[in-house]
Amino acid sequence: MTVAVLDRARPPRPRPRLLDVGTWRSAAGGALPGALVSSVAAALLLAGVVPVVGRGAVHAGLAVLLAATAVGWSARRSTGAVRSLAVPVAQLVAVGLLYAGTASPTMLLLLLGPLWALATHPGRRGLAVAVAGTTAVLAVPHLVGSLPAAADLPGALLLGPLAVAAGGIAVHGTTRRLATQTDHIARLQREQAALLEQVQSRADELDTASRILAARAQTMTSVIDAVTEQSIIGTDRDGSIRVWNPGAEKMLGLLRPDVVRTRTILDFHLAEELTAAAADSGCGTGLETLVHVAREQGSDVRDWTYVAADGSHRTVSVAITPRSDDRGVHAGWNFVGTDMTEARATERMKDQFVSLISHELRTPLSSILGYLELVMDDEDQPLTDEQRSYLTTVERNAQRLLRLVGDLLFTAQVESGRFTLQPADVDLAGVVRAAEETARVAAATAGVQIVVDVPDEGLVVPGDAVRLGQACDNLVSNAVKFTPAGGQVRLVLRSAWRTADGELAEQALPGTVPVALLSVADTGMGIPAGEQGQLFTRFFRSSTAQRNAVPGVGLGLTITKAITTAHGGTLDLVSSEGAGTTFTMTLPVAPPA
Amino acid sequence: MDPAPHPAGGSSARPGPPGPARVLVADDEDDIRELVALAVRKAGCQVVTTAPDGGTALAAARSQLPDLAVLDVSMPGMTGLEICAALRADPATAGVRIVLLSAGASPDEVARGLAAGADAYLAKPFTVAGLVRQVRELAVREPAA
Repeated sequence: MTVAVLDRARPPRPRPRLLDVGTWRSAAGGALPGALVSSVAAALLLAGVVPVVGRGAVHAGLAVLLAATAVGWSARRSTGAVRSLAVPVAQLVAVGLLYAGTASPTMLLLLLGPLWALATHPGRRGLAVAVAGTTAVLAVPHLVGSLPAAADLPGALLLGPLAVAAGGIAVHGTTRRLATQTDHIARLQREQAALLEQVQSRADELDTASRILAARAQTMTSVIDAVTEQSIIGTDRDGSIRVWNPGAEKMLGLLRPDVVRTRTILDFHLAEELTAAAADSGCGTGLETLVHVAREQGSDVRDWTYVAADGSHRTVSVAITPRSDDRGVHAGWNFVGTDMTEARATERMKDQFVSLISHELRTPLSSILGYLELVMDDEDQPLTDEQRSYLTTVERNAQRLLRLVGDLLFTAQVESGRFTLQPADVDLAGVVRAAEETARVAAATAGVQIVVDVPDEGLVVPGDAVRLGQACDNLVSNAVKFTPAGGQVRLVLRSAWRTADGELAEQALPGTVPVALLSVADTGMGIPAGEQGQLFTRFFRSSTAQRNAVPGVGLGLTITKAITTAHGGTLDLVSSEGAGTTFTMTLPVAPPA
Repeated sequence: MDPAPHPAGGSSARPGPPGPARVLVADDEDDIRELVALAVRKAGCQVVTTAPDGGTALAAARSQLPDLAVLDVSMPGMTGLEICAALRADPATAGVRIVLLSAGASPDEVARGLAAGADAYLAKPFTVAGLVRQVRELAVREPAA
């Protein structure tokens, strides 16, 4: 048997009381009258108060009486109806024998014991047995001849049982009432015990639940208190602060007791910034300005300016989320902040540095290229072929340096999000032809053939013509650079359809959008499979590029990818080392909704 | 040498006999300033003043009243944009045609230059041929009003 061991105090078992009704009833119904009858009979006989006329009957009566008394005592807890009737009936038999053996009416006093037991017996059978037994006992001496047949026998036989019946009915009624009350009390006691057990059980469950809750709360508190580099601020729905962790203390310079329930989250925001944000969003003022995006979208992460206790400003990336109580009802807001002051300052410095460097490099390049132009175009003093060849090399390298500066600046703009497009309708067929033209000289020099396959009627997409030209130039010049002499670069422009997950289809299907599909396929050295994932990372150069000393700094594909993405397009590649690479660019034909 | 055009001869800012357009050149880089001056002369115009900073450039523009000013955007003292705005704000110099030169060529920067009142905006590095073409075009153009 499986026993569930519960760690709880057991309800106290009700202890039997000295005057317990059940105990009294049990004793009165069997053991006690029996013992009394035996004792009285023995005393009367030993004292010689009653004469013995029939020794055999007296002995038999005493033996039966003792046996019945012994049985009654040993079975005093038993509730068996037959057993509880058997003892007083045996006592009646014993009294009858003693009456017959002594012929003394004194012996009839002994009837009180068994008659009491029968009268208090539950049910009416005991009463009937008592009347019948009394009649039999009164008749026995007359029947066995120990008493002369007297004239009052019929009277005694009539009055005796009648008295017994009347007394028995009275005792029986009282006993029944007592028994009913006893049962009622016992039932109440059982119910009380059951209720006590239920209450105890419920108290144990509550105790367990409250201990679990306390442990959880302690875990949460310890986690929040362990966060020292991020501010965790919890407010109610009105913005009044309820949670303020050590990270918030460190960031904003105020201790928890000075803030909780006395300050609102708005106290720590830059008022001008909130006003400007409210005007921009048009979505309410005050707290609503902070939380309206989180209310609509579930969360909002952006930079806000916190004002610390000493008045200093901190640029903080704050994640705002709504908080619910245990019933799922919105209870307030969480503001988890990371101090980005230094990081943003570094980013600004980097931007400024790139701008400065790019300006400082462009200025001397302007001089170099400008004076070169003057020398090379001076019709009054024409150059020799050799001089022109040297200066052409100078100019080519100056242009290369200029492109590198432009790429660096553009990459920095992409990173800082300051990269904007000048939208217009762009004919991609024209862009592809122009890219071929740009790369034609380099391709011819390298012995690479460029094949252009574009629709005669053109293919127009919305976009920035300069940037798309730059992206296309990058792909074509890359393909030429990575293709050995005798190889081919194939530029194919087609209409196609793209599914939401980027799959391409040749015809319009439900859920697809029309795109322009440009593929640039070369028969070059290819890119090792393990490096293809990093190809669009800044300054990444494939091992094949380094092994074959292909010039470049690893910005072209980063820029091309950024331009494609900014146009809502995709850029993918398929490459096999030694066989060639195909870049596939898709650009939406319709402007973004 | 390119043939000198028949420029408008200062009709915008200063009445006078017809002749080569008078041009102010301002850039803090000596080499660039000289290169621009060469291009201006190549366009058949007369360089009246070259200025190495913004303050000098504005003072020269007010005193010389040139037909055309070729200004670098990024200069000490005053930027080309500020000079441009100051010239446009003064009725005496509002008719001076202005070419801005800048190493910054983003769409935003070009838009800011044109909004300040420039007639043309050239990104550095510029080609001499392109600058010559631009100077000739503005030097012969009749003023709008």
